[in-house]
Formats: sequence, C-alpha cells, structure tokens
Amino acid sequence: MNIIEIKNLSKVYDEKTIPVYALNGVDLAFKQGEFTSIVGPSGSGKTTMLNMLGGLDTPSGGKIMIDGTDITGLKSRQLIDFRMRNIGFVFQSFNLIPVLTAKENVEFIMQLQGVDREQRDKRTLELLQSVGLGEKINTRPNKLSGGQQQRVAVARALASKPKFILADEPTANLDSKSAENLLEIMEKLNREENITFIFSTHDSRVVAKARRVVTLEDGKIVSDVSKN
Amino acid sequence: MIFKIAFKNVWRNKVRSLIVITAITLGLAGGILTVSVITGMVEQKVRSGINNEVAHIQLHNPEFLKNYESRYTIPRADSIARIISGVSSVKAVCLRSRLTGMAASPNSATGVQILGVDPAAEKNVFTLYKAIPDSAGGFFTGSRKNLVVIGRKLADKLKVRLKSKIVLRFQNPDGNLTEAAFSVNGIFQSANTMFDEINVFIKKTDLDRVTEMDNGIQEIALIANDNSNIPLVKAALKSKFPGLLVQDWSEIRPDMGMVTTAIAIEVYVILGIILFALAFGIVNTMLMIVFERTRELGMLMAVGMSKSRVFRMIMLETIFLTIIGGIAGMAVSATLVSVFHSYGIDLSAFSKGLGAFGFDPKIYPFIKPELYINLSIMIILTGILSAVMPARKALQLKPVEAIRIE
Ligand SMILES: Nc1ncnc2c1ncn2[C@@H]1O[C@H](COP(=O)(O)OP(=O)(O)O)[C@@H](O)[C@H]1O
Ligand SMILES: [Mg+2]
Repeated sequence: MNIIEIKNLSKVYDEKTIPVYALNGVDLAFKQGEFTSIVGPSGSGKTTMLNMLGGLDTPSGGKIMIDGTDITGLKSRQLIDFRMRNIGFVFQSFNLIPVLTAKENVEFIMQLQGVDREQRDKRTLELLQSVGLGEKINTRPNKLSGGQQQRVAVARALASKPKFILADEPTANLDSKSAENLLEIMEKLNREENITFIFSTHDSRVVAKARRVVTLEDGKIVSDVSKN
Repeated sequence: MIFKIAFKNVWRNKVRSLIVITAITLGLAGGILTVSVITGMVEQKVRSGINNEVAHIQLHNPEFLKNYESRYTIPRADSIARIISGVSSVKAVCLRSRLTGMAASPNSATGVQILGVDPAAEKNVFTLYKAIPDSAGGFFTGSRKNLVVIGRKLADKLKVRLKSKIVLRFQNPDGNLTEAAFSVNGIFQSANTMFDEINVFIKKTDLDRVTEMDNGIQEIALIANDNSNIPLVKAALKSKFPGLLVQDWSEIRPDMGMVTTAIAIEVYVILGIILFALAFGIVNTMLMIVFERTRELGMLMAVGMSKSRVFRMIMLETIFLTIIGGIAGMAVSATLVSVFHSYGIDLSAFSKGLGAFGFDPKIYPFIKPELYINLSIMIILTGILSAVMPARKALQLKPVEAIRIE
C-alpha cells in the first residue's frame, strides 16, 4: 500500500515574469516504512518537492494523495491541522523553540494535539531516550550541539505519531560525525519502529545509508533506485 | 503553553525587553509624579479652602447672598444651631456675624469682610487658627477687649504688626455706621492670599458691644464628621430649614468644585497621552521581534501551530511586556510619590503666583488609590492595542517563505 502518491506534480515560480519550473511532471509513490533519500544538485527541486509533500506550499499542477486524501484540495486551516496530525518535519535549522527545553520542545506538538500530561511525559522521555538524549531533557537548545539539536528535532517530529517524516537536508549544518550519528538514529527508528523517512541531501555519505534513492534534475526524476 | 512560551519570549532578549520596560517605567513614573503633584496641589487647595474658608456646609438667609446686606439675618440662629448639632453626622457648628466694612491704619485703608465670631465654636469648625505662625500671635488669646485677627496680606497692605491698632468701620444691620479701634491679636497666613486680604475676624461679643446692638447671625457654618456624609447632611438640613439657603462647599466656591472635576479628567488625559506615546515604542519593538523570528514562526506554523495560536502568542508577549513595564512603573511611582508625600515639595520659589490662586507653596503629592486601578486597565488596553499590528504581521508570514534557506 502506498501512503503517498504524487501524480504529475509541477510547480512554477514567478509564472508571470520569468517562469522557473522547479518541478516538472513528477510521478512518485512512497510506501509505509521507506527510508528514502531525495538527491540532486542544488536547485534541482528537492526543497520544492518536500514542501509540496508536507503541504507547506501549493503545487501549480498535479495531485498529492496522502492516505487517500488529496492535500492539494485542502484549505490552509485544514492543512495546518493535517500537517500537525500526519507529518513530522525536520528542517535544516531553526527547528526548535529556543526558550523551551528539549523536553518542552518535544512535548509542544502533543500539547497542540491535546494529549494529556501523563502520556506526554511518558512519550517525551521515550523519544528523547531513543535519540540518545535521555540526559538532556531539561536542556535548552542553545546548550545543545547542532547534532543534538537535530536529534531533538527528530524526536519532536515523531511526537505527534505522524504517518511519515520529511527532512530537508537535516545534516547540512552538521559535521560528518554528527551527521552520521543522526542518520544512524533515523535508521534505527525506521528499522525498529517502521517509521517512514523521506529526506533530501546532497551528501554522498548520507545517500549511502538510504534504501531508496530518488534523483531529481531540473525538476524531473532522472533515476529511482531501491537497494535490498 | 502559549502563555508560557509568550512569557519566556519576553526574556529572550533581556536588554531589549529591559529597555522597553524601563521606557514604560520612566514614562509612567513621570506621568504619575506629575499627576500626584497636581492632585496634591488641588487636594490641598480644596482642603485648605474647606478648613480655613468655607467649612462643609453653610446656611444663609437667601436674601443675604444677593448683596451681602447684613440686615438679612438668620432668625432664631441659636435654636437652629442646636438643631443642627443634633443632626447625625454633623461634627461641629458655628455662628457668624458677617458685615461689610473698611479697615484702616494710619498708612492705608481697604474694604474688608468683618466676621464676628465665637472663637471657641469657630475653632471647632475652622482650622484657620492653625494658620497663625507661632511668631504671629494667636486666635483671640488673652482677655483684652477689641482684639482683631487679620491675614498676612492685609497686615502688609495696612503696614501693621502684632498689637498695632487698626480702625474698623462698618454698617450695622440697622443701617448705622460704627467705627472702632481694634488691636491686632493674630496674623494668619492661609494658602489663599486673596482670602487673607479681605477677611477680618473679631469676637461677636466685641462687635455687639461697640455697636451697642445685636448684629444677628448672617452665616451658619458646619462640618460633617466625614466628607462622604456631606450630601446626606445637606439633604437633611434642606428639608429641616426650607426657608434658608443650604449650600455645600462646591456650591459656595464653584472654583474649588470645578478644579476638582477638571483635574480628575486632566489626570487621565496626561496618562493617556503618555501611554499613547509608549505604545509606539512597544509596537516598534514587537515588529522588530516578529521580523527577527520569521524563521521560527514559520517553523511553528509548519509543524502545526495554527494562525490563531501564533496571533495569540505575539499578542500575549506584547501584553506581558507592557504589563511588566506597567507594574514596574506603578511600583516605582508609588514609592516616589510616598517619599515625596512624606517630605513635601517646596515650590515657594514660585509661590507668589500660586498663593494668589489659593495654592499652598508646599505640596504633598498624592495619588488616589483608584487611579492605579484605572491606570492598570489603561495599561492593559495599551498592551492589547500595541499588540494587534505585530501579531497581524506574524499572521502574514507564509511558512515556506519563512523557512526558506537561500
Ligand atoms: N520562492 C521561489 N521563488 C522563485 N524561485 C524559486 C523559489 N523557490 C525555489 N525557486 C527556484 O526553484 C528551483 C528549485 O529550488 P529548490 O526546490 O530550492 O531546489 P533544491 O532544494 O534542490 O536546491 C530553483 O531554480 C530555485 O531557484
Ligand atoms: Mg533545498
């Protein structure tokens, strides 16, 4: 069963002046439990595609079906709610609320979802332990390293029990050791808890960890390789 | 939770928040101090007006007030005074003869109001006797006859001192002119130089002796045991004595009543203008904050924070900032006002001008407690109004654009 189906997706920026075809007729499907990397040179449309998938931006054409719902038809208010309940996000930076501790950052989405306190406490602790930050629950982001911050972001993304996690260049600001560490954690969560990860990168060592690699060039898919 | 984040956000950039809070504090302190000086001044003017000049309530023959003709007396004043003393909430009553006349010294002469009083009763109603400095005699001390107590301004005008003789010339209720010499027993100095210039006090017993007749009572003055009981007492007296004119201090001295009302409004105008000015600073700071946090706000919206929550968060942050400044401002002001209140501010450098309007040169600033309540409401409103624009700005952010990394 596919959890995401993209049909003939296109995105044109600056349509009226000098049109930029960031995505150009993309067809793609993702299954539950994938660990997929979107690769391609800078400007190839990776961010654009992840933003469309995450409902952060509206396509110029095509459809995005998530679990049977066409999200391109949702209103912005519905979309916010949809994102909160179905999609976990990890960005390149500025993932966390600086005034909140690691625990509070992870808890935040659950609070938005109205999860009760006891459950929140339990799950927050589990998640932070699973990303190796059980010791840092009361630490604020500015006292954490870049890699640790990204791990909190992964825990935060998981907190809402999303259907899948989108990560746009999550390792771009990390040194290679932290990048490797983050990928190992993501891989472990994928393996042990069957969590679907879709992440973009142009770091070849990160690409090497992916089980499926989708390559974009000029807004088109030029290859789609699955390893076993 | 939005609450908590908003509150913590206030302290993110401590220096900037402290600058805003300090600005609010200083603005409010300036405003409140100004207001406290004005309030103190007016309260003192009104209080000294009541205590030295008019008391709480006065009764007259309605005809008397038309031209101050002394023949319009209050009939059976003694028994009226006894009845008044029995009215509940009345603290003290006194009876006065009030005649128009002239005061003359070898140097000069001037028109005056002559008040024939019973010193003991007078002291129960008026505190004018306290306005006589130690070096300036007393309020009918000693047992000598024909003593007069006058104001400093009149003494200066007539160029007389303690124990000097002055001649009082006046028309009796029956129309005859009387002239008699009096010795200056005390010189009072109230806050109102105009009052000091035209009022001359003698004992009613002396007055009646030198005129060889009873001059009658033209004026009954009384005080209630509390300001708040004035309307009550006034109403009671009105119904008891329909033939007399019963007036409270604000009717007798409309200038004093008006200044009280005018000041009550002015106070809020001053504070309103200050808060309005501060609002600009707050709006500006919050717009800067929203601009700086573009990415963070974009991230929050991306991960599922609804627009209304983002709006509320910025609103709350602005309101918190304003309220913290407001509390600091009011605390600092309350402290300063109480310090100034206990020491008083001496404006005697400008007092010549002030005295002419009945203002005391030494001011004891003070703030009515209810002002802090109303001001708190005004501060919260300022916070809310200042918050709208920045919060709307935050709503215009689109998550993709906010988090885009170029
Ligand atoms: N908001 C935008 N306005 C105009 N052009 C844009 C915008 N966002 C992206 N693009 C263009 O779309 C193309 C794809 O960009 P992007 O999806 O960011 O690529 P990648 O993430 O692979 O580097 C690029 O040519 C980029 O310049
Ligand atoms: Mg990109």
